[in-house]
Amino acid sequence: MMQALAASSQGREVFPYPIDVKDFGNGLKLVGVRFDSPGLAAYYSVVRVGSRHEVEKGRTGFAHFFEHMMFRGTESYPEDEYSEVLRAMGADSNAYTSVDRTVYHILASSRSLPKIVEIESDRFQSLKYSREQFQKEAGAVLGEYNKSAANPFMGLYEKLQETAYDVHPYKHMTIGFLEDIQAMPTMYDYSLEFFRRFYRPEYVTLLVVGDYDWEALSALVERRYRDWERGGYVVDIPREPPQSAPRDASVQWPAPTLPLLAIAYKAPAFSTELVDMPGLDVLSQVHFGETSPIYQRLVIEKQWVDFVSAGATDQADPPLFTILTRVREPEKLEDVRKAVLDEVERIARELPDEKKLEATKSHMKYEFLLRTDTADSVANTMAHYLSLTNDPSTVNEVYALYDRVSADDVRALAQKYFRPENRTSVTLTQAPGVGGPE
Amino acid sequence: MNPMILSAVLALGADRDPVVLQSPGNPLVSFRFVLHAGSALDPPGKEGLAALTGLMLSQGGTEELSLTEVMEALYPMAAGFSSQPEKEVTTFVGQAHRDHLEPYYAVFRDRLQKPRFDPQDFERNKNDLLNYLTKSLPSADDEELGKKSLEQELYAGHAYRHPVQGTVAGVEALTLDDVKAFYREHYTIENLQIGIAGDLPEGFADRVVEDFRKSLPSRKAAAPTLPRPPIGKGLEVTVVEKSTAEATAISLGFPLEITRSDEDFYPLLVANTYLGDHRTFNGVLMNELRAKRGLNYGDYSYIEAFHQDGGSTFALPNVPRRQQSFSIWIRPVAPENAHFALRGAIFYLRRLVDRGMTAEEFEAMREYLTSYSKLWVQSLDRRLGYQLDSSFYGTGFYIDEIEKRLATMTVEDVNRAVKKHLDRWDFRVAMVASNAAEMAAAVKENRRSPVTYQTSGASEEVLAEDREIEVLVLPIDSVKVIPVAESFQK
Repeated sequence: MMQALAASSQGREVFPYPIDVKDFGNGLKLVGVRFDSPGLAAYYSVVRVGSRHEVEKGRTGFAHFFEHMMFRGTESYPEDEYSEVLRAMGADSNAYTSVDRTVYHILASSRSLPKIVEIESDRFQSLKYSREQFQKEAGAVLGEYNKSAANPFMGLYEKLQETAYDVHPYKHMTIGFLEDIQAMPTMYDYSLEFFRRFYRPEYVTLLVVGDYDWEALSALVERRYRDWERGGYVVDIPREPPQSAPRDASVQWPAPTLPLLAIAYKAPAFSTELVDMPGLDVLSQVHFGETSPIYQRLVIEKQWVDFVSAGATDQADPPLFTILTRVREPEKLEDVRKAVLDEVERIARELPDEKKLEATKSHMKYEFLLRTDTADSVANTMAHYLSLTNDPSTVNEVYALYDRVSADDVRALAQKYFRPENRTSVTLTQAPGVGGPE
Repeated sequence: MNPMILSAVLALGADRDPVVLQSPGNPLVSFRFVLHAGSALDPPGKEGLAALTGLMLSQGGTEELSLTEVMEALYPMAAGFSSQPEKEVTTFVGQAHRDHLEPYYAVFRDRLQKPRFDPQDFERNKNDLLNYLTKSLPSADDEELGKKSLEQELYAGHAYRHPVQGTVAGVEALTLDDVKAFYREHYTIENLQIGIAGDLPEGFADRVVEDFRKSLPSRKAAAPTLPRPPIGKGLEVTVVEKSTAEATAISLGFPLEITRSDEDFYPLLVANTYLGDHRTFNGVLMNELRAKRGLNYGDYSYIEAFHQDGGSTFALPNVPRRQQSFSIWIRPVAPENAHFALRGAIFYLRRLVDRGMTAEEFEAMREYLTSYSKLWVQSLDRRLGYQLDSSFYGTGFYIDEIEKRLATMTVEDVNRAVKKHLDRWDFRVAMVASNAAEMAAAVKENRRSPVTYQTSGASEEVLAEDREIEVLVLPIDSVKVIPVAESFQK
C-alpha cells in the first residue's frame, strides 16, 4: 500500500508527498504524509462524527460541545497536567467541529511525538471529567454562540438550513439551536454515552504530517492504541426526501445590515465515483468566480452587490449548492434576485467558454498548491478528505476528476441540479423601524 | 529549510533596506511591500484616505489593464494581491507559484507603480469602506466594536484614534483627487520597504529594487511625531449602547511606553503569556474566567496590537507601531456577569503585579515561548513578514531575539518589568451592552457584582475569590454612555 502510493505520487498528481498507511485491526488507521518541515510535525485525530450525527431531539450542537469536553482531562492527565504537557513542548493545539467531523490537532516539534501519542491515546480512551467541569464548559459553549450571534450571516445560514432540510440533521447548524445549548448543563449522563458511542477506533483516523520516522511512529501508535476496543455503534441518519417545490423564507434582522440573499439547490454528496460533485466545483468557479460574467456585471460594473460567491462544501450527505450575495442598496434586492435566477437559467442553456474552463482548472490546481505550504496546512487538507472517505488517495482522485470535467458536463450538471423544485431561497433584511447609525 | 537572508541589495535608508529571503526549492514566491504611510497620516476630516488609497491599488486596475483585465490575468495563477491597512504602514501582500513569477510580478509592479485610479473603482471601494463603518462594524461583530471603541478612547487626540478604515464623515468627504494626491505624496521610494521571498532566479531581487527605484519619486519625509498619551487618574469607562447585544463584549487597556525595540518588552512578553496568552489555556485569565467559571469563550491579554491571522492562533505580521498599549480582551459575557468579569480581569492582573510570577511559573513560560515562537514563522511568507517587522523596530529577527533574550532572563527581570509597566489603574474600558445605563451606573458606583452561575459546583477556593472580586473597588474616573449610532461618525 505504502509503496504503491509513494510510486504513484511521482506522476502529475496534485498532492506530491509520499504517503504511509497502517491499519491496526481495531478499525483505527494511521496515515503519514512526509512533508519537508525539518524538526516539525502535525498530529491530527480525525473523528468522523459531527452535527450530522445529532439525530435525537434536543441534542443539537452536542458533537461540538463534546469537542470541548475532550480538553477536560483523564485520571493520568487531569486537565491542568494535559495543558502543562502541551505547554512544555511549545505546541500549538486546538480542535474544531463541522457537520461531518471533529478534528483535534497539535503542531509541535517532531521530538515530542512520543509524548503526543501518549496523551492523545490516553484522552481518546480514558477521558474523565466531573459533572461540575461539564457544567462550567457549557457556559463557555454558550459564550461561543454569543460571540457570533450578532453576525447576520449566521442568521441567514440558520434559516437556510432549517428551510431546505425536513428530516436530515443538516437542518441545524453545528453550534446547535440556542435552546439546546442552554440546556446542555443537564446532559452530563448523555455526554458519557456520546463518548462510548463515537470515540471509538472505527470512527477515528490518525494523521501525522511533516518530519517523522515511520517505523518508530507506527510502533508507538500500535503500543498506545492497540487495546482500544471497537464500539460498533451505528447511527441511523434519516435520508432527506427529494424536494418537490421551491421554498422561500426570509429573516427580519433586528440590527442595521445590508440585505443578504442566498439561493441554494440540493447538491450531490461527496463522491469520487461521479463527476457531479467535482463538476459543480468547477461550475462554481467558471460561472460565479471573480472573472465570471455575473460577478463582473453585478460587483464591478453595476455595483449592485459587494460580492457574489457560490459553491457546495464536500459533505457525506447531500449538501446545498449556495449562491450568496450581499446587496448594496435594499431597493435593488429583487433586481439582484432576478439577475441571479436569469444567470442560473443561462448556464443551464449555454455551454461555458472552453478557454475559461481551462483557466479554471489551472486556477483550482494553483489555488491548492498555494494553500498547502506548511505541514499544518497539508494536514488540514488531508484531514478533510480522510473524514469523508478514510482513504488518503482521495485528494488525488478528486483533482484528477477536476481535470476531466468538460463543458458539456458543466451544462448538464446545471440542468440536473438547478431546477426550481430543488431550490431554497432566503433573504435577510433589516427589520422595519431599526434605527441605523446613518 | 531555513532561508538565507540576503541583506541590503540596495541601501535605501536605515529601516527601509529591502529584505530578500532566498529559499532554495520553495515552490512559492511571496511579496510583502511595506509602505510607511498608514492611517496615522489621514488628514483630519479625511479619515480613511490611506486605506482607500491602498484599496485603489489592490482592488483597482492599472494604466494598461482595467480591474477586470487584471482579474483575468491573475485567475489561472490563483495568485493573490491585497492591501493590509494599518496605523503606520500599508502592506501590499502577494503570493504566486514560482511557475508564474514573471507574469505575476509584471502585474504586481504595475498595480503599485501605475494605478488606474478609475472613477468606477473609486466609487465601489469607497462604498465598501462606508458599508463597513455603517453596517458591519456597529452591527455584525460586537467584539471588534469593543476593540475599536477602546482604541478611540486610548488615543483621544492622537493619530491612532480612528479605525484604519476611517470614520463615516471622513470617508464620505473623500474624492478621487484626494487619493491621487495621497499617492503622489506618500508612495515614494523612501517610504517603501521591499520584501521578497522564494527560490528567486539570480538577479531578480536586484531588478525589482531597481524597477521601483526608477519609477517611484524620491522625497524625504519625516514621520509625524506622535503625542504620548497622558497617564489618567483612574478608569475611564465607555459603555457603547447597542440594543441587540445579547452579551457584553469588553476590552480594556492603557498605553505602554515600550515596543519590541525596548529591553523591557521581552520580560513583559513572558509575563503577558502567563497572564493572557492568545487563545491557549496557558493564561491565568483564560483559566480563571473561562475554565473555572464558565463566564465566556475566552479571555486574553496583549502588550502590542494583535490581529489574528485567519483561523490560526498566530498574529498577523506587518502591524508595526511606534507606540503600543497593553490590553485585555474579555469575549462576550452574559450581561449580569459583565461587571464581575471586568473586576475579575483587573483582579488577576493586580495579583500578577502584586505577587509577581514564581520562579517555577517563569521557567514554564520561558520553555513554552522558546519553542512556541518558532511556530509563528512556519511559512516563508510569515517569516518574511516578521523579518520586515524586525527592521521596523531596528532589532534582529524577532524570533531569534526572543530566544536570545529569554536565555539570559530571570524571574526578577520579569517581575520588575511588570511593576514598572503594568502597575497602573488608568484603564480605558469599552463595554458593548444593551443595558448601558444600568451597567454604567453599577460600574460608576462600584456596586457589588456577585457572579451568577448558570450551574452550581464552583469550588470553595473559587467562591472565596469570587467574594473578593465582587467588591473590588475600582478607582473610577469617568463613565459615559454613547449610542452605537454615534460611534465612528467623526
